[in-house]
Amino acid sequence: MKITKTQAGQTITYVVSGRLDTVTAPDLGKEIDAVTPDIKELVLDFDGLEYISSAGIRTVLTAQKKMNKQGVLKLRHVCPAVLDVFELTGFADILTIEK
Amino acid sequence: MSMISVKHLCKAYPNITPLKDINCEIERGEVISIIGPSGTGKSTLLRCINCLEHPTKGEIYVDGQNILAAGVDLNKVRQKMGMVFQQFNLFAHLMIIENVMLGATDLLGKTRQEAYDHGMELLESVGMAEKAFAYPDELSGGQKQRVAIARTLSMNPEIILFDEPTSALDPTMVGEVVSVIRSLKEKGMTMMIVTHEMKFARDISTRIFYMDQGLIYEDGTPEQIFGNPQKERTRIFIKQLKPYHADIKSQKFDFLGINSEIAQFMHKNLVPEHFRDASQRLFEELFMQCVLPHLPATFSAALDLGWSDRNLLLEFALRYDGPAYNPLTDTNNDELALLLVRKTAPELKHRYENGMNYLEVTLKTETK
Repeated sequence: MKITKTQAGQTITYVVSGRLDTVTAPDLGKEIDAVTPDIKELVLDFDGLEYISSAGIRTVLTAQKKMNKQGVLKLRHVCPAVLDVFELTGFADILTIEK
Repeated sequence: MSMISVKHLCKAYPNITPLKDINCEIERGEVISIIGPSGTGKSTLLRCINCLEHPTKGEIYVDGQNILAAGVDLNKVRQKMGMVFQQFNLFAHLMIIENVMLGATDLLGKTRQEAYDHGMELLESVGMAEKAFAYPDELSGGQKQRVAIARTLSMNPEIILFDEPTSALDPTMVGEVVSVIRSLKEKGMTMMIVTHEMKFARDISTRIFYMDQGLIYEDGTPEQIFGNPQKERTRIFIKQLKPYHADIKSQKFDFLGINSEIAQFMHKNLVPEHFRDASQRLFEELFMQCVLPHLPATFSAALDLGWSDRNLLLEFALRYDGPAYNPLTDTNNDELALLLVRKTAPELKHRYENGMNYLEVTLKTETK
């Protein structure tokens, strides 16, 4: 998995590619933990993300929980395989997934 | 007493060991089909039984006599056992009837008239009497094989060993040879048949040997072997699956390596992507999240996948040793992981047999 971070004012974007699974999810988890309270918009750009597991979903949910308190979380460029997983688990409805 | 008894038979060549440890008993009147992937020693086993190959180790008893012992009269032993080869092995310069008479006159000491009369009867029985005075080159493959069977019968064998009797035949000619073998079964002939014709093996046999890894890997009735094979490799072979196998032995196993191998396997076999995703998901959610935390530092586990491009289905099987543990009913397991497992493979089943847990499912095209 590859994570690239960019920040513009109160918006942070992580471009995540590869696989978000048991092994790699903790790396994204650390990045999200480090997001400070002044950030109002967190974007997870999944352009190039091919696979997500329950560990990856949990990391996304942690981000959602955190941003519920301080702003918004947006998911971008979600490929059909990853979107399927969000739909299977029912989380597609509570996450903001930009088309 | 068994008609043939094989004990710890091993045949090793300098670079390969086709037979590692073969043990079997063959009773009078049995029809045994020997099936399995190429290169697993099926023909070598027949050739050892008929002393065309000398085994490296082990014992073969025919009617209680150890045929590998020093001083055994091999011609006497071979008279009890006829052998039918893939390539017929008829003498091209002899007429059909002469091919059939040869053994009876030269080895059994029959007169030419006796051999002729018996030979014609046998050719009649395989539907080849009309061609008695033809030469092998004038015959089709199926006809040659029927003559080869008649020639074998001329020696009044107690058992016939068939080494892929239909493999060299045009598909249209398989039927005529199969029907001759079928009629021999009705007469009570004991037969061992190496074959790749699964329908034939299923229909004609009283018992099936599935050979793999130098062993009689699974031995059972046609109903058991074709309908409910007990072992993984048998199942993969019977269902004509392309297999992937990974052994897992410790908590520190190479998860990324296995995932990458799964992806390569899927790519190589042109498996649709959603099967790859489903397999990797099941492996991760089931094994990594739910099973692995319950296993000790070292253990014995394996992942087996089998892809059928004919039926567009993927068989997924995880097994692990230790006490019975069904992760699907353990409420302490990660809820999200179990949810993904259930959504991906609603028909996934757990079973526990002989100290081994099995989690198995067949994924079909509609699998997400």
